[in-house]
Amino acid sequence: MTTTEKFSYDNTIVRNFAYATMLWGVVGMLVGLYAAFQLILPSWNLSFAPTTFGRIRPLHTNAAIFAFVGNGIFMGVYYSLQRLLKARMYSDFLSKFHFWGWQAIIIAAAITLPLGITSSHEYAELEWPIDLAIAVIWIVFGINMMGTILKRREQHLYVAIWFYIATWITVTVLHVGNNLELPVHLWKSYPVFAGVQDALVQWWYGHNAVAFFLTTPYLGLMYYFLPKAANRPVYSYRLSIIHFWALIFIYIWAGPHHLLYTSLPDWAQSLGTVFSLMLIAPSWGGMLNGLLTLRGVWDKVRQEPILKFMVVAVTAYGMSTFEGPMLSIKSVNAISHFTDWTIGHVHIGTLGWNGFLTFGILYWLLPKIFSTPLYSTKLANIHFWVGTMGILFYAIPLYWAGWTQSLMWKQFTPDGFLQYGNFLETVTQILPMYTLRAVGGTLYFAGVLIMVYNLRKTVSAGNLLADEETEAPVRVTDYKSHGKEHWHRWIERRPVQMLMGSAVVILIGGLVEIFPMIMVDSNVPRIASVQPYTPLELEGRDIYIREGCLGCHSQMIRPFRSETERYGAYSKSGEFIYDRPFLWGSKRTGPDLHRVGRKYPDSWHYNHMYDPQSMSPGSIMPPYPWLIDDELNTKYTAAKIKTLVTLGTPYESSIIEDPLASLNQQAKEIADNLRKDGLVQANLEKKEIIALIAYLQRLGTDIQPIPVSSNNTN
Amino acid sequence: MFKYILAESGNINWMALFALLTFFIMFVLTIWVVFKKSPEHIREMEQLPLSDSFTPKNEPKK
Repeated sequence: MTTTEKFSYDNTIVRNFAYATMLWGVVGMLVGLYAAFQLILPSWNLSFAPTTFGRIRPLHTNAAIFAFVGNGIFMGVYYSLQRLLKARMYSDFLSKFHFWGWQAIIIAAAITLPLGITSSHEYAELEWPIDLAIAVIWIVFGINMMGTILKRREQHLYVAIWFYIATWITVTVLHVGNNLELPVHLWKSYPVFAGVQDALVQWWYGHNAVAFFLTTPYLGLMYYFLPKAANRPVYSYRLSIIHFWALIFIYIWAGPHHLLYTSLPDWAQSLGTVFSLMLIAPSWGGMLNGLLTLRGVWDKVRQEPILKFMVVAVTAYGMSTFEGPMLSIKSVNAISHFTDWTIGHVHIGTLGWNGFLTFGILYWLLPKIFSTPLYSTKLANIHFWVGTMGILFYAIPLYWAGWTQSLMWKQFTPDGFLQYGNFLETVTQILPMYTLRAVGGTLYFAGVLIMVYNLRKTVSAGNLLADEETEAPVRVTDYKSHGKEHWHRWIERRPVQMLMGSAVVILIGGLVEIFPMIMVDSNVPRIASVQPYTPLELEGRDIYIREGCLGCHSQMIRPFRSETERYGAYSKSGEFIYDRPFLWGSKRTGPDLHRVGRKYPDSWHYNHMYDPQSMSPGSIMPPYPWLIDDELNTKYTAAKIKTLVTLGTPYESSIIEDPLASLNQQAKEIADNLRKDGLVQANLEKKEIIALIAYLQRLGTDIQPIPVSSNNTN
Repeated sequence: MFKYILAESGNINWMALFALLTFFIMFVLTIWVVFKKSPEHIREMEQLPLSDSFTPKNEPKK
């Protein structure tokens, strides 16, 4: 006779994460919507630093990924893990600590990002104290999850749990790897890696943040919640195993596809392309496994909004995982990269796959734990259609905008000149598409508000089953297999070995790509004329980072005639060896800036930053009046130089000993230039704009000798 | 076109070969393992999400 134990599932923690998912979903999408409107109505930047696009964009991406999707992951994991293991979470205290710790991190991000406190690494913008807090909370989550797995009553681990384990170990490795940085002070640090190496590490992280934060945990959720909602087992459990191992092995290699045609060595780009193409196989295997789970119940899909959300989510997963490999083909990437195509692509994933799966789970889960039916199926259906229209109105115009703009960038006249030599022409052309995108975002957001109302009414009609009573047989801890067994059945019973196996698999790809890059000197050929930034340029660079300029401007001229004609000589890896962090960017809403140095007079930059439309009528760039008014903070200049010296930047001893002497001297020269051009302002030398001008005028000039006749270009 | 591909075929970086080989071995191993699993075990595993609480084996599942 089987001995059973009575125990309860903790639904309070599930409810808390569900509420946080909805709250941060609303906030994150609202911020995204605000950013979308800023692109068509620049006055919405409000001439106020914390509400300017460059600072708002990372707030939106962080809120959508780590606040909305992050809480969605934890909601689903805390619900499914307990039930798949027939065990309550290992520690209620750790669950609460995890919940409140994660919310505190989100609030810290919401405060620091608008203040311009950023590392500028995309999707890893948060500064080092918050990085440490993330590490602590992530470890707490890991202990709670592994503790639950170890005290489980179910012998074998269902495939969803493998995805959770792989997510945990990989995010740990990625977070540590991409945040190796040396603090200057509490809110400023410089990364250990520079230039090309920093770029490779960042996009190894950036791509795998998509892979192991937006994808693998959600696949785990799909393998649990889709069978639950359809009330049918997964189509092929065998396929799910192949899906798991193939996916986590291949995904980790694909990061360099974000750096095609850049200064990254060719072999690393090729690896990224090949593995990205191979990704179609496991991704589509998983998508088909999800869709085929619904075999025989498609009639239910017609009536049941939860299944509708899940079907569109899985389809969006299929679409974006087809599109991703296609965009990784170098000839396609030559067109798509730096355009809105990428933004459209990523939103098919986030709005369709993550968003719709989250909504499906919320509609399924909250009525369950509140023991009440959904308030209104009709409203859920309306949400579904409004949301679906929102996705289409969001993505299709951006695909169109991406193609249009890229082809305009590359268009030559029969005489061999750029047809659209003024970059701004290619921006104003696609503004109608930006308007449609904002309409799409508004529709999607309206759908979310409908859901929040519907679920609010649902929970107020029910009562939370805080501790859901249940029972299960005690697990036989000295389990003996019946005769010969496979290593995979063996590993399915051993979570720690599963954790280590996943770690080995994901580390193979990461190490093979990154280690040679760091160790082999020939991968980054040195250029003798490339020198470290002066103290003033360094301060200007940190302002560039603070304002999030890389959200709209790249610093990477690809070796295409259309780019060298427009911007100048293509970028070489040796030019970036002192760039901590690298600032190549991934989107050109404005032109590339790598060769902007000495292209315009100092006064042009001054006026342009104060009022961009005065220099470029029709520009959608926000104004930066505070750079004109605010004085440059030089309190940490010496500490910054010392930190960079520690990291290997070869500053001369005179700069190390008295960086402010050099800084003041250079600031005076720039201020004098501005005065010559008729700009009158008290304490001009002390203003932030001077540092930014110094940096912009330096960009890309190290390999271009200064004309002998003058020492400036004005 | 193929003659150019063949001309370059001896010049493949060891990284690419290592990557391809490790993936191939890994993929073949996974397929082999998956198809050696017993159908009973697979059935048991795929039913796991559908049973939130204990159901004795001799009773039909809901």
